[in-house]
Amino acid sequence: MSLKNSFAGYALALVLTCATLLSAGTTVFAQADQIPTDEQAISNGKALFEDNCTVCHSVHERVVGPALKQVIEENRSLPWIISFVQNSQKVIQSGDKDAVALYNEFNKTEMPSFAFSPEQITSIVAYIKHETENPPVKEVAEVPEGGTGPAVSGGTGVSSEYLTILLVVLLVVLVLILIVLALIVSVLTGYLKKDQQLEEADREIVESKFDLQKLLTNKAFLGFVVFAFTAIVLKTVIDGLFMVGIQQNYQPKQPIAFSHKIHAGQMEIDCNYCHTGVRKSKSANIPSANICMNCHTEIKKDSPEIQKIYAALENDQPIEWVRIHNLPDLAYFNHSQHVKVGEVECQTCHGPIETMDVVYQYADLTMGWCINCHRETELNTEGNDYYTKLVQLHNEHSKEPMKVVDIGGLECAKCHY
Amino acid sequence: MFLYKRIKVAAFMFSAAVLASCTAGGDNQGTEYAPNMYHSLPYEPLSQITDESAGLWATSNESGVGEYYNSNPNNPHRMTMREPAPNTVSRNSLGFLPYDKVKGDIAWAEENLKNPLPASEEVISNGKELYDRFCQHCHGASGQGDGAVGKVLKGVPSYSKGRVKEVNEGHIFHVITSGYGRMGAHGSQLSQEERWEIVRYVQTLQNQ
Repeated sequence: MSLKNSFAGYALALVLTCATLLSAGTTVFAQADQIPTDEQAISNGKALFEDNCTVCHSVHERVVGPALKQVIEENRSLPWIISFVQNSQKVIQSGDKDAVALYNEFNKTEMPSFAFSPEQITSIVAYIKHETENPPVKEVAEVPEGGTGPAVSGGTGVSSEYLTILLVVLLVVLVLILIVLALIVSVLTGYLKKDQQLEEADREIVESKFDLQKLLTNKAFLGFVVFAFTAIVLKTVIDGLFMVGIQQNYQPKQPIAFSHKIHAGQMEIDCNYCHTGVRKSKSANIPSANICMNCHTEIKKDSPEIQKIYAALENDQPIEWVRIHNLPDLAYFNHSQHVKVGEVECQTCHGPIETMDVVYQYADLTMGWCINCHRETELNTEGNDYYTKLVQLHNEHSKEPMKVVDIGGLECAKCHY
Repeated sequence: MFLYKRIKVAAFMFSAAVLASCTAGGDNQGTEYAPNMYHSLPYEPLSQITDESAGLWATSNESGVGEYYNSNPNNPHRMTMREPAPNTVSRNSLGFLPYDKVKGDIAWAEENLKNPLPASEEVISNGKELYDRFCQHCHGASGQGDGAVGKVLKGVPSYSKGRVKEVNEGHIFHVITSGYGRMGAHGSQLSQEERWEIVRYVQTLQNQ
């Protein structure tokens, strides 16, 4: 009986094992149709995705096309994905409801056909699935809000702030020392006053009082005060006179809170990209709104400041920026001559523009300032045959390298005519 | 006598204070010396004063408007800068017709446009210089689409991979001129010659 029982038991076990194996087999086959999860497929898919899809798609965000995590979230079938990627127009024309809905949602933007094998597309989907399930940790260093910050006061850097703090601390320490000294003096005089055996001369000193009236009538003291006062006022007057006509540190509020710090600093956009005339003409040009639109058709569309550009474009009305740098008509200045020919950096005259939220006039733009630079700047004549003989002649007479002044940089008519 | 002295001192201090306020800063432009020299009578494209009473005190003309007013009342928004006259065409020394005026789409450009500049070292190095100034912030220094702006804008392809590796010179030229997808039109910023120079350099990036 026991033997029979055990046999039945074995038979049952065998049948069960077979059944399990069989069912396991079918799941294996079923998964081959499904999205693979092995690392090989995911890395293959990643490479394909980055080379071909990132132009228009991102996994998590809607870019030109939909965010591709939708494919996973909406559980689209692999055959549908494969036929859409291989030829999206064919799927749309066949009247597939989902495809037509997508096509219409994205303003009938056609997705180009990609001649990928089903395996390749499956691996891309594997990568998308992997990314959907493991979303990247959000970067902390987000781009800060653009240009809404208040004006940065002209020319004050971190170092000068530290200097101010240091001065205040020193002042406080000095006042404390003064108080302590005064206390010591009063304690000592109080002690000395009680001393009976003090000499006459010393007693006079101890009992002397501070006489304000006497000091005010003292001629030497009054003379000194008058002299100091006149000197200070005179210096202020002369400084003021020298500042007439100089607009250094002028930092007007602009119609749009455009920040050079974000555009030229963080985003590393070359000055020439917007100031298109800087190498070609006398003036560097303020960009027209269509240049803003090269990026702002997509970036920060909801910002109220960007909306102002949209309004300007819609009304065909130029943005009236406030001019900061303005030379009098008696002086001629040409940007291309300095930037292209002279290879002068923008920052030489305009200062640390890539750190300015609101632009201010950095240089004083006086004639002395121009002349100084013309006296000090050496010429780069390398590869320019025009200057070969001139450099030779110059070197015969002078040990100094050739500078702008040597080719007429101080001639009046260079700038005044 | 004492009062007289006091008045003198007060006047002196007052003038000092006035002069100190001449200094520019913030919205204050500071005092202008010879203001007529800072506001030109002819139209200036980069500074436009629409206020008719501006500089009335310094005016020398008899039209009744201020000396600094320099807007053109006949133009929309009193603009002084105008677009080129309609139906006129600028041509440069190379004899290029403005491409914007050539009607054609990207398929037409791919088929018909040929680069008039040779793939010489000079052209390519000029192209690189222009690329670094006009393209690099989106497309990245080596054309991988990893520029600082490209990361924010998203959807910037690599030149050397996938479909973009295969596009021809006419395609690149057309895209620079008129834009494509998320990329804006850069025809207003670059001359045709400059665009063709960039095309030569971009082709070296495609084949890196």
